[in-house]
Amino acid sequence: MANINSTVTMKKKPLGGKSDLRTRIWKYRYFYIMFLPVLVALILFYYLPMVGIRFAFYKYTPFAPPTFVGMANFKRLWSTPSFWTAFRNTLEISLVNLFLSMIISIVVALLINEIGHLRLKKTVQTIIYLPHFLSWVVVASIFMIVLSPQGGFVNQVLLSLGIIKEPIYFLAEEKWWRPVYFFISRWKETGWGTIIYLATLTSISPELYEAASIDGAGRFKQTLYITIPSIMNTVIIVLILNLAKVLNLFESVFVLYNPLVYHVSDVIQTYVYRLALNANAPDYGFSTAVGLFKSVVSCMLVLFSNWASKKVRGRGIL
Amino acid sequence: MKEKFSFKKQYRARTIFNIFNFLFFTLVLVAVLIPLIKVFVDSLDASGSYGIRLWPQNPSFSAYKIIFSTTALYQPFLISLYVTALGTFLGLFMCTIGAYVLIQFEMPGRTLFSYLLLFTMIFSGGLVPTYLVMKDLHLLNTLWAIVLPASLNVYNLILMRNFFEAIPGSLFESAEIDGCTPFGIFTRIVLPLSKPALASIGLFFAVAFWNEYTNFTIYISNPKLFNFQVKLRSLILDDQSLAAASSEGIYAKTVQNAAIIVAVLPFMFIYPFCQKYFVTGITMGAVKE
Amino acid sequence: MKRKFLSKAASILMVILLVTTLAACGGKDSTSNDSEQPSKKEETTTKADDTDSKEVVKEIEKPEKIHIMMTTILTEENGHKQLIDKYKELSGIQLEITKPDHNQYYEKVNLAFASGDIPDVIELGGTNYTTYAVNGALWDMTDAWESSDLKASGIVKEQYVDALKLDGKLYGFPMAKGNGTITYVRKDWMDKLGLKAPTNYAEFLDMLRAFTNEDPDGNGKNDTYGITAAGLINSETPYDIYLREFYQDAKPDFYQKDGKYVDGMSEPAMKEALQRMRDAYAEGLIDKEIITNKTSTCRDKFYANQVGAFNYWAGYWNVNLETSLQAANPEGSVMPIPPIAETKYIERPPTALVITNKAKNPEGIFKYFIEYSHDGGEGQMLFTRGVEGVHYETKDGKTVALPYIATPEKLFEKALYSPELSITDFDDPIAFDERVTNSLKMFEENSFIYPIPRSSEVISANLPELNTLKNQIVAKIVIGELTVEEGIAQYESQGKAQIEAILADLNK
Repeated sequence: MANINSTVTMKKKPLGGKSDLRTRIWKYRYFYIMFLPVLVALILFYYLPMVGIRFAFYKYTPFAPPTFVGMANFKRLWSTPSFWTAFRNTLEISLVNLFLSMIISIVVALLINEIGHLRLKKTVQTIIYLPHFLSWVVVASIFMIVLSPQGGFVNQVLLSLGIIKEPIYFLAEEKWWRPVYFFISRWKETGWGTIIYLATLTSISPELYEAASIDGAGRFKQTLYITIPSIMNTVIIVLILNLAKVLNLFESVFVLYNPLVYHVSDVIQTYVYRLALNANAPDYGFSTAVGLFKSVVSCMLVLFSNWASKKVRGRGIL
Repeated sequence: MKEKFSFKKQYRARTIFNIFNFLFFTLVLVAVLIPLIKVFVDSLDASGSYGIRLWPQNPSFSAYKIIFSTTALYQPFLISLYVTALGTFLGLFMCTIGAYVLIQFEMPGRTLFSYLLLFTMIFSGGLVPTYLVMKDLHLLNTLWAIVLPASLNVYNLILMRNFFEAIPGSLFESAEIDGCTPFGIFTRIVLPLSKPALASIGLFFAVAFWNEYTNFTIYISNPKLFNFQVKLRSLILDDQSLAAASSEGIYAKTVQNAAIIVAVLPFMFIYPFCQKYFVTGITMGAVKE
Repeated sequence: MKRKFLSKAASILMVILLVTTLAACGGKDSTSNDSEQPSKKEETTTKADDTDSKEVVKEIEKPEKIHIMMTTILTEENGHKQLIDKYKELSGIQLEITKPDHNQYYEKVNLAFASGDIPDVIELGGTNYTTYAVNGALWDMTDAWESSDLKASGIVKEQYVDALKLDGKLYGFPMAKGNGTITYVRKDWMDKLGLKAPTNYAEFLDMLRAFTNEDPDGNGKNDTYGITAAGLINSETPYDIYLREFYQDAKPDFYQKDGKYVDGMSEPAMKEALQRMRDAYAEGLIDKEIITNKTSTCRDKFYANQVGAFNYWAGYWNVNLETSLQAANPEGSVMPIPPIAETKYIERPPTALVITNKAKNPEGIFKYFIEYSHDGGEGQMLFTRGVEGVHYETKDGKTVALPYIATPEKLFEKALYSPELSITDFDDPIAFDERVTNSLKMFEENSFIYPIPRSSEVISANLPELNTLKNQIVAKIVIGELTVEEGIAQYESQGKAQIEAILADLNK
């Protein structure tokens, strides 16, 4: 962490002994007080409930006191081949979706930024963020109609253009399911994803562009050498923060998948959902174990990407 | 001569780019709008449909009339507004002070605080322990159970920190020299300079609180405290009650679609106010060409 | 460099330390809480058993207050309070009702049990009822029921009570009949094509063919098909509640045959059923999108002149379907048809009102709340039709339902129990729409009550994996990716371990 000091803040204090630490703490006394509300909320609402992580090693139903079962919950989770299929699918679907979302949102944000007409720019932005407000259930029902093999819009267009001979059942064919899923996810979230980049773009100093244009750099070069480096920090942070959440994929898959495509679409959460459907009692121990497993994997992903970020850019996200 | 030529070339490239950009967004807007228009049209047409229509057969506002005349939705609407306003305020408060502390790179313990925050993004205690903590804190069946935990959002906090970091360090130093207290710097320099960040992250908070559903159903059992989303779903989206078949013969789907539109409406009003902070006309092109 | 490492190591250590210390001190608390709970439970059960066996005809004490958690009861704004007040006035008992949101009801019930705030009475349907019963969370009401005045009065249709018995013991009382799905067809299409209600499978197929090929909506396009459903296998038991004409006597579930449990998937009847579905799908009689349909899509397609037949709930839904259909097609009409000769409709086991082990005076609750609300008179009127003057009124000797308070477009239907599904000889003074009574009558005459689903550790460890496989295979067979033989062989080999484990457990 300390390497940030050298890159970000100019003045670097000489490292000292204990008394130096005490003066530094005193110097920052107001900041500790300011941090207090955050710390209290953090402990009350996040760290106190973490007591529950130990239940990953317990059998815990609503009907009996928790009993220690060691690794049994994990063994149950890992023992079925379906789980590993779901695990692989989760990583593949989430990671591809994450990278697609980054690239598409950034490109769209940059293009929106290039729209000269201010009102048009605002209109475009307002409209493309709207799909974010539709729930996944509604989005799924709309796309089922659009993609229907029986007179659906997409199939009709493809048929009339002669691209296909037979209508395609997009959501029920293994080779089509993922591309369709990625498209629908991007349709829903791209606009919303641009907000953070657009906010970052506004904080780039106009002087930089002026200087560049005096130096004769064209629009494309300005984008390449000024805009993109300026938003890179945000890009990396959003990427790493989202990596922490990749394994939580559920609702979007749940509303779009079906038994014919389990093989390419089943993810950890949908798998666990089906496990719970026929369970003879809700086992909080088991669901905690699933959560802990996901946390450990996410933790590795985040630490790895943070490490990679440090190696490449000389700094992590914190 | 030579210079003029290159200018022209650049100008031409720019025009081609603009045309492509325009076409691109036309395409994007069509792709986004068609499904949305379907929802809107279906909300206006009391006769059900399966498929895409761009114009209602028998347009009528009866579905909206039903929703707006349902007094049972008024109180939940106010609750939603209250939770959204309070939650967004508290959320931004936590985010900004947290982020402000995290950019004090020399502060002892800063790293620890960062890790403490990041850790909670990845590890969590699960449903039952969280519920029990809420119960012990006597927060069950209060709106604080919705607002307080969600107001500390580490994801947004770290994004905010990223924005704060971009504020030039020289500003802090000169303020310090002028005798500003840390809190003074925070309110007089950091916050005013972070309007785009406050607007966008405020929007994230507001939308999240407005759409809050799960936490309400877990922590609130008093129906008087249900918000708009919960009430809307239980009243309209469940086939049971209102929508199933009214004497006017309003098709259930019509009311559901109208409900979707109504739930989005508040944001159509609020959004432009936020938007002006992060879509400003910073197009350097405006100066140049 | 060293310093960097140290400070980082220290901070990580601190996090871990903090978590573990919190875990340590908090942990003690919650275990002691948890361990208190069940011991109390045991006490109350043993006490209850004692009183049952020793003093049978003893006067039953009236409870002062009953805490209930349920979701099907009418809402606040529709006169929830008036109902509670009226009950208090009639019985002297205060009801305290928690009404969680419909979608999260079971999660809330589970949480209530996990956190120790256990209500006296809850409602439980399907597998949840079995689960709570086998885990010992419910009061055994067998004796209370057997010796009750209600049973003696003879007004209860006892098959519905018996449907909730688990190994001869009763843990819950039916709120109303379970109801089930019936086949609805487009009557206007039938008339136009000159068809009569099919009586056997061959006629049924002919009807579907006519719906598919003869342009029943008269738009000149070949855009209709015979029947649709939300998936080939229902997600909860009974799995075969839809597509009855194709399933006939096959069951994609474990069931008792000649006193022994078998896996329905491996029975010859299932192979025939799958062949029927496969053929009909290939011929285009079944909706091509049956795999991805949700129930709402099926309804939409039915209203939008795309499909001629589908299975849906009997009763009020007959009216709903017709109203919605006519909103789009004023000439459209809906007709429920009796099952074809080869099959019957399936009635779900009723949703149960159960008394938890935590209730202090279960006998009193049973007598003064459950029995009272099914008394065929005053009590039942209150819990079905609501409060006079609020939910219904009597004018010129005729009783009529009033509109819902919050949504006046619609007439009041039920306070807690559906009157049209009453399990007693309740003489309801309010008349129903004929379509409601007719479809229910047709359903009742032609259906059987599905046995309550079993629940055990072994089943819950094996069934989800097996059901996933089952769903995959059945879908692949029907859309033609696999032949019936291949599919069933795959199912049997891939699911071998699970099938054997479940059968061994059931036949124990």
